[in-house]
Amino acid sequence: MKNNALRILYWVVTLLTFVGAILLVFAWTPDEATMGMIQKIFYFHLPIAINTFLACMTVFVASLGYLSTRQTWWDDLALAAAKVSVLLCTGVLGTGMLWAHGAWGVWWTWSPRLTFSFMLWLLYVVYVLVRASIESPQRRAVVAAVYGVVAFLDVPLVYLSVKLLPDIHPSSIGLSDSMRLTLGLCFIPITLLAAGLIWERYHLARYERAKRDAARHDGEEDHRFPVIVTGGGA
Amino acid sequence: MTSTLRQVSMLIVKDLRIEGRTRQTMGLVLVLGILIVSVLGLGFSQTPQLAALGTPAILWVAYLFSGVLCFEKTMAVERQDGALAGLLLAPIDRGVIYLSKLISNLALMLAVAAIITPVGILFFGFDLSPAPDGFVLIISISMLGFAAVGTLFAALVSSTRLAGGLLALVIFPVILPLVIASTHQMTALFRDGVPPGGTGLTILLAFDAIFLVTSWLVFEVVLEP
Repeated sequence: MKNNALRILYWVVTLLTFVGAILLVFAWTPDEATMGMIQKIFYFHLPIAINTFLACMTVFVASLGYLSTRQTWWDDLALAAAKVSVLLCTGVLGTGMLWAHGAWGVWWTWSPRLTFSFMLWLLYVVYVLVRASIESPQRRAVVAAVYGVVAFLDVPLVYLSVKLLPDIHPSSIGLSDSMRLTLGLCFIPITLLAAGLIWERYHLARYERAKRDAARHDGEEDHRFPVIVTGGGA
Repeated sequence: MTSTLRQVSMLIVKDLRIEGRTRQTMGLVLVLGILIVSVLGLGFSQTPQLAALGTPAILWVAYLFSGVLCFEKTMAVERQDGALAGLLLAPIDRGVIYLSKLISNLALMLAVAAIITPVGILFFGFDLSPAPDGFVLIISISMLGFAAVGTLFAALVSSTRLAGGLLALVIFPVILPLVIASTHQMTALFRDGVPPGGTGLTILLAFDAIFLVTSWLVFEVVLEP
């Protein structure tokens, strides 16, 4: 009960900080001189990108944790973080494409950072898909953990290799103090959202696993939860 | 050290002898590679000048798909008649098994590349003469990284029922930096006359080093009869 109250409080706070951030971005921060309105997307684009990276790192740490201890909660954490990585990375790609369209007039270009986000997205989408296609829970956990480690080690190589592509992305933007403050404050709701989603998904995964184990323990399938029993927890 | 080398060479000889007698991997892989090159050649038949510039990319598509099939096949051999269980029971370090599998895969893939590449060059009118040694160098370094990742993942997914489709799915996104760096080096070499080097070559070498070491370390937990 107390846990539930804390949870609701957490999400209410997250929602409020979101509202605050949106107000700050649109009502208080001045428009950027050359790009105008479209630059506002930057205040969300960068925090989402940084959080994507943190989520990917969580997958890496959890994968290493699983490989060294073989405790299932590491596997559940890796799954939760991977799903949130994909979601956040989709956010980075979406905001990035909107921005590209506003600033350069094209939805897509093989510029280094767009390509980087896209390749990161591919890496972690595959993580989620591969999990879903392996039936044995132990095997799934091992395959996913090894892939989680390899994928994260691949990230710096991806980052270096996309730099070989021709670039039109801004490497730094001149920001006024108020813009910088807004950017800093926008990290709060996005980080709360990312951490909250990982936490929620992790608990769902723990619950699914407990349910599945209980069903197996009874020696019969629990028909109230057919999806869960047939190994849908990937 | 000498006993490790002996173990590695014994396992490689075993793999190559099986391949030499059955020829089940090379036949399939070669025909697949040539088919891919032909499909792309026909696709580009209206714009041959594009194909000539893009030959390295086209060859990479052929290498990638034939490579996946090759890694899958050489691992499937171990699945027959409980060969892998026997191998795991033998007093051999798992790292040695990885290394020997990697070297046999690399040998097969270099042989495949040695046949597919001339076919591609012939079909697309690509001029290799400015720097054949640079081409061989880049492809060899790239193939090492490709085989390192491919061997690890082939062993990883071979005990699951979806080995075939799954293997391409896990290898391709990981291998992308290698493809970017490799095609970048080729373009620099053949269009601009810049010899291999710089960031591109560093990425290729770093890729090889990182995934050789990682695969060696995690191979312990990957193999399962």
